[in-house]
This record gives sequence, structure tokens and C-alpha cells, in this order.
Amino acid sequence: MNKNISTILKSVSKPGRYSGGEYGQIIKDKKDIKARFAFCFPDTYEIGMSNLGVRILYGVLNEADDVWCERVYTPWIDMQEQMRKHNIPLTACESGDELTAFDMIGFTLQYEMSYTNVLNMLDLAGIPLRSEERDDSMPIIIGGGPCAYNPEPVADFFDLFNIGEGEEMLPELCRLYIRMKDEGRYTKAEYLHEAARSIEGIYVPSLYEVSYNEDGTVKEYKPKYDDIPKTVRKRIMKDMDKSYFPKKVVMPYIETVHDRVMLEVFRGCIRGCRFCQAGIIYRPVREKSPETLNEQAKCLFESTGYDEISLTSLSISDYTELEALTDMLLEWTDENMVSLSLPSLRVDSFTKELMEKIASVRSSSLTFAPEAGTQRLRDVINKNVREEDLLRAVNVAFEAGKNKVKLYFMQGLPTETNEDLEGIAKLASSVVDAYYKCPTRNKARQPQVTISVSCFIPKPFTPFQWVAQDSLETLVEKQEYLGSKVTDRKVVYTHHDAKVSRIEAVLARGDRRLSKALEIACREGFMFDAWDECFDYDKWISVIERSGLDAAFYANREFALDEVLPWDIIDCGVTKEFLIREYKNAHNEKTTPNCREKCSGCGANRLGGERSCCPKAAK
Amino acid sequence: MLSKSSKITRPEYLKMLPELASPMTVRIKFVKKGKLQYISHLDLQRTFNRILMRSGLPVWYTKGFNPHAKLVFSTPLSVGTQSECEFLDLRFDREMPCEDIKRMLNAELTDEMYALDVYIPSTKFSEIAFCEYEYEIFADSVSEEFAGELEKLFTTSPLTLVKKSKSGEREIDVVPLIKSVSVGYNKESGSIRMNAVLCAETENFLNPEMLVTAIKTKYGILTAENPAEWYSITRKKSLKSDMTEFR
Ligand code: SF4
Repeated sequence: MNKNISTILKSVSKPGRYSGGEYGQIIKDKKDIKARFAFCFPDTYEIGMSNLGVRILYGVLNEADDVWCERVYTPWIDMQEQMRKHNIPLTACESGDELTAFDMIGFTLQYEMSYTNVLNMLDLAGIPLRSEERDDSMPIIIGGGPCAYNPEPVADFFDLFNIGEGEEMLPELCRLYIRMKDEGRYTKAEYLHEAARSIEGIYVPSLYEVSYNEDGTVKEYKPKYDDIPKTVRKRIMKDMDKSYFPKKVVMPYIETVHDRVMLEVFRGCIRGCRFCQAGIIYRPVREKSPETLNEQAKCLFESTGYDEISLTSLSISDYTELEALTDMLLEWTDENMVSLSLPSLRVDSFTKELMEKIASVRSSSLTFAPEAGTQRLRDVINKNVREEDLLRAVNVAFEAGKNKVKLYFMQGLPTETNEDLEGIAKLASSVVDAYYKCPTRNKARQPQVTISVSCFIPKPFTPFQWVAQDSLETLVEKQEYLGSKVTDRKVVYTHHDAKVSRIEAVLARGDRRLSKALEIACREGFMFDAWDECFDYDKWISVIERSGLDAAFYANREFALDEVLPWDIIDCGVTKEFLIREYKNAHNEKTTPNCREKCSGCGANRLGGERSCCPKAAK
Repeated sequence: MLSKSSKITRPEYLKMLPELASPMTVRIKFVKKGKLQYISHLDLQRTFNRILMRSGLPVWYTKGFNPHAKLVFSTPLSVGTQSECEFLDLRFDREMPCEDIKRMLNAELTDEMYALDVYIPSTKFSEIAFCEYEYEIFADSVSEEFAGELEKLFTTSPLTLVKKSKSGEREIDVVPLIKSVSVGYNKESGSIRMNAVLCAETENFLNPEMLVTAIKTKYGILTAENPAEWYSITRKKSLKSDMTEFR
């Protein structure tokens, strides 16, 4: 850190965000380094430091002696003001060097609303936004993470994208870079072409020409060379037990969102909820063995001193060896004063035994996600949760003396009617009733049921990817309608901002032409759009219009099943036929069994995988 | 000699150490400087808890539902002030030589925060009456004369400043809380060096940053308007009322 910025650090909020110097950070000698990698998280330090993916990739890149990976986060608004006022460029945490000094800059794209922060960070670093404006002297800009599955809205800014899991891809990209530099044949154009040709999972948007139909839909993607893939297939780590695991992590001094050991139990999800993107793009499920997990947990506990271990995976209770794992962990965690927590619970697996093992469940509040208010609609979205399951689960909780329950729902789901909305209010009331009916409840306390309702957003690579989002007016009307149905005073109703959800839908299903809107947004100072205090709907609509586009075309249009989708350039392993089948099943209110009950032939088995859910996993 | 690798799980490793009838208090004198000056007291507490956890030291934990270590820090240190003399009292339930404690702690620390000394204390934190601070001030306008002016500023009563505390804000004259001050100008570096001994008793604690506030208010320098100007404050010593060094 430059001494000169100390006066500024003393004037901004939470200077610990920028000071760095954490225990566990990796410092290397620049003279041994052939590729410098800046790993950027386009949100605050507190959020970025909590991301498991960053922890893994930071570690895996630093495994190589000649590669040095550092971290970068988005400075908060007050800091950005100071930086712009005094011409202080964006720097990396470890070395304090400017981003232009790096060979590669990677951004993890976790949510669409962080796109403006990505551009903002490039701008703060003095790096031209568009790939075509950057010459051979500029760092290679890389994107990855879940939003890279439809990279098109940000395609013009990135040199290349990583599709899928990055543990092997990122080091391969560094090796190629170093090799070409060593051989003296590095040019940006050559590098991008060779990466697209030789490394699986690499998408170089500038090497594909997009044409459009008259109605504005995509006509085709045309590769500029014959030797690059026509569609880019995602990469996965086949054997999670052998996959890289960071034995040490950078320990934040200031409080972060997830300040604990995060133990990744498995990747993927067997469930197949039809609105859920993560449930599709991380297929197939690949588990770690309980022995491996126990060793990894011990190792992280010893290297960090965290007193909480969170089992982080989607729908954690689907882990086939959950009992074996928790038993192994409890053998040493209790006496070391370490507690276990689970971020996600399914009502059908919520039992008294589990509750006793898991500390987070010991707290007074419990969270479940029925997602829809009626069985009919839950069948449509393939959320295989029955009302009886929910009531049984809350009963277990009430019997144990708890009084607070939080329920997550979505509104604006395909085929939704007023009855479904009313069903949300009714379900919440039945939970309140269940409390009073429970003879062993904590009689000193009143029940409190919070329903948190978000807006449905059609996401790429889901069976609902073609579905139109409700118009803003309808979404707001539905929110009000539901509000009027919540009459039980023990029920607290909260909902998301429908305006944010609409812009999210635009960016989620957007095509390459949206880059223009994002560029204007950046020039006009948009930042932290995932934060309520920064998001301005009218300004968003204005920049979309000024770039000659229509928000409704992306958010509120029913896409045709046979139309070329902007993300058709990506192959996530799950076939389009499967998604179409699921789309039709949804409309027929027909549920699909989960991967353990029965394989539905989604195609992800072709990717292979050890300890996977697929009966016919490719070798 | 004990090494960290002998720790399989904590209790097993600890069984090798002689158990104490009642917990013993050990004092850690440590440095907190550089980037670590931006870490608040609350964050420091959480950080120390983790450091103790991973160090494998036989820290005494409270019994009950939510076991925790008892950490007692000495004089508060605000964000933006460095220190070469922070004190932390810890309780251990097993016997361990102080050098081993120091070594095991420092294995978990960085070069911006580390233990200087570990010992069995014979004093109480309430005996700290003063703290000595060293200031370094860089600004275009500083000079030999300016140094003299500053010395006058901090020795001429009243110098009224707003003091914030839990009970709200009030105006106080800070000069009686300044035990001594000496200011010099360093031609070579073009900076002001100031040494000040300030009241550190709980009721009369004077935050060293207050002197900088006085300079900012009077001369309009050292603000974020001009980042080329900067200052640093370092707590050098803690003193008892008889002006001997606290230990
Ligand atoms: S191939 Fe079958 S088991 Fe494997 S992820 Fe797809 S549906 Fe599930």
C-alpha cells in the first residue's frame, strides 16, 4: 500500500477493506514470476472474501511457482470518489500494484447486477472497456462464474470466458501464456485463437460473428476459424476427491459475510427445480467422500482457527453420506468448540436427529423454501415439497422450542394464478396454526413466520428459459394482492424489488447488443446495482432505450422453442431436448423424479464424473 | 519442545501439559502497525480468537453453552493509530513456558502484528496513567517555525475541542490532558516529528487523533483533500502515574 493513500484511508468508511495485509495472503517475489493474475470480485471486500470459488481459484493459481495470483475487490462508493478525485488507480491487495501491471485479469461473474461494477473496475484501473480497444500490452481480461453461461451481454468487454469449473482451465491459460511469451510468439490475437482451439471450455467471443434476424432474434453464431469449436462445452472436475483443495485461506480481519470454514461437500444438485439455473449448470452431481471431507475440515480448522464449519452445497441434505460425515466431524468438532452449520435445508429431510447435530439449526430461526403456495404450482416448478412435509418439519422445530420460521417463495412463476398467491398466505397461516397446535411449544413466545417473496426471473439453461417474465405492472399488482391476503398478524411479508428483477431478467437473457447499454451505464457512473441504495430503475431503462434496445424484448417476451438463443453458443452438458421436455412437463403440471430416484436423461452424464448421480456416467 | 504438528485435535495435544488448579493469566505485549492500524477493536478481538484457536495454545475457555476465551485488552487504540505497546491479558488452563507461548503465537501472526513479549503480569491495566505517542506529519507548509507554533498550540490553555464519548459530545480543554509535548522539524525528510504524552486513564483518556483534529481545524492541512499530505501516529509507551514504564 502506497503511503500516500493513508490520509484517504483515514477518511473513508471501513478502511480495513482496502488495507490488505491479511494472514494467509500469498506474497511472491516478482522476479520469479512469469504471469501475474489479478482475481477480481466485482463487489465489496466483505462479499468477495466470502466466496468459496475465489478461495479455491486463488489457491490453485498460486500453486505454480511462476504464477502469482492476487485479489481485487470493488472499492465502496466513498473510496471510489476519493480515487477518482486524486487519480488513484485500482490496485491489487497483495502487491498494491496497479492492474495494468498484470498479465491477466479474471472477473468472477456471480450475478448479473454486478456487471456495472466489472466495467467500473476496469475504468478505475485505466483499462479500456472493450476488448477491441486493448492492444497486446494490455492484460487479458477473463470472465467466469455462473453468469458466464450467458456471457453475451458482456461479450464485448472480455477477451475470453471460462465456461464451467476453473480449477484446470485457469492454470492452463497461464501455461499457454507463459509458453507463448517464452517462445517470443505472443500476440493477443494469436493467444486468443490458440486458447480457443486448444483449451476445452474457453469461449473467445470476438472469434464468433453473430447475425440477427429482422425480428431482433439471433440468426446464427459463426466461428471465424474452422479449428475452433462450434459450441463451447463446459469443463467440470471429474473427481472431487482429487480436485484441488485450498489447505489455507486468506483470513480477513474485518467481518465478512461468510466468515467460517466452507466445506464443499459436492457439486451440483439432484433436484431439478425448473426455475433454478444452478441446478442445471453444475450437473452432474459429484460428491466428495466423507473421509476426504473430514480430512479437509480438520486441515482448514487448524490453518484458520474458525470455530464454525459450514457444509456448503446446494441442497446439502441430499448428500448420500450426510450421516457418516456429520458423525465423523462431531467426533472432534465438539471438543474443539467448533460448530457445524448448514446453509440450506429441505423440509423432507429435516429431522430431530439432524437438528441436534447442527448448530445453526440450534438458533431460534429456521428457513425453508417451498417456493410456491399451492401443490399445483409446486408441481409446475418441480419443487417436490408437500405441505405435510413442511408442517412436519416446522413441528420438529416448534417441539424443540423454536418460534421463528422464514419461508422463501417466488412470485410471477409460469401459470401462476391468484389462487397460488393466496396459497402463500394460507401456507404461512398454517405454519402459525401448527405452532399453537404443538403441545410442547415454547409457550412463553409468540410464533413469527416471515415470508420472503422474490420475483421469478427466467434464466438461461433452465426449463423456464423461454418463459416471459410478468410485466412490471403485473409483478407489482401480484405483490400487492399477496399483501392484501396476508392478514395473519403473526406473519411478516417481505418482497424483492420487482424493478431490479426486471433488469436482471434483461441481462440474464440478453444478447451481445446489450454491451452498448452497459458501456453507457458505466460512463454514466452506474455502480453497485445489486445494492438498493445504488440501483435506479429509470436510469437503467433510459440507457437500454438509448442503446436502441427494448427491455421487454429480453424480459417479457416468450422466446420460441426453436429460436436461436444468445447462449446457444455454450453447451452446459444438459441437452436442449431435455430442457424442452421439462418445459412441456411443467405446462402439463407433471413432476420429474430427482436424479437419485430415476435418471431423466438430461445429458450431463456425458461429462463423466466420479461418485456422481448418473447411472451411465461417461468414463 | 512442542510444535504445532503434534496437535492432532486440541485436547489430545494439551493432555501432555501439566494442568493448573486455577487458570493463570498471561500478558502479551504486541505490536500493531502498518496495514493493521486500520483494523478496529472489535475486529481485533475476533481476529485474536481465531489466532488463539489455530495456535493450539491451552487457552482457558468459559464453560457452558457458548464457550469463549476471556480476552482483556489495555488502553483503547483507535483506527488509524499504530502501536508498539499493546497489551492483552489471557487465561491459560495448562502450564506452558512463556517463550513457547510467544513462539506459537508469532507463528500465527504477521510482521505488522506480533508479540514482543509474553510474561506473567504483576500490574493491572488500571495503573496505566499516560501513553506516549510519536507523530510524524508531512505537509507542504511545515517548517521550523511551524514546529514552534504547534508546540505553543498544545501548551496554551484553553484549546477547546469536541470530545466524543458514549454519553455524547462535549467540549473540553485538552491542554490539561497533555502531560508534555515536544515538536521538532526534520529538514531532511521535510516533516514534523512530535512527541506527546497524553492522559490515558479511563475517565480522562485523550485520543491522540484529537491533536491532529486540532491541527486540521486550525491550519486546514492533512485532510483527504490533499493526499500528498499525511501523518502517522504511533503509541510508543504506556506509563504509570510515576512516569515509569508500564509492563
Ligand atoms: S444424466 Fe440422469 S442422473 Fe445424470 S444428471 Fe442428468 S438426469 Fe441426473
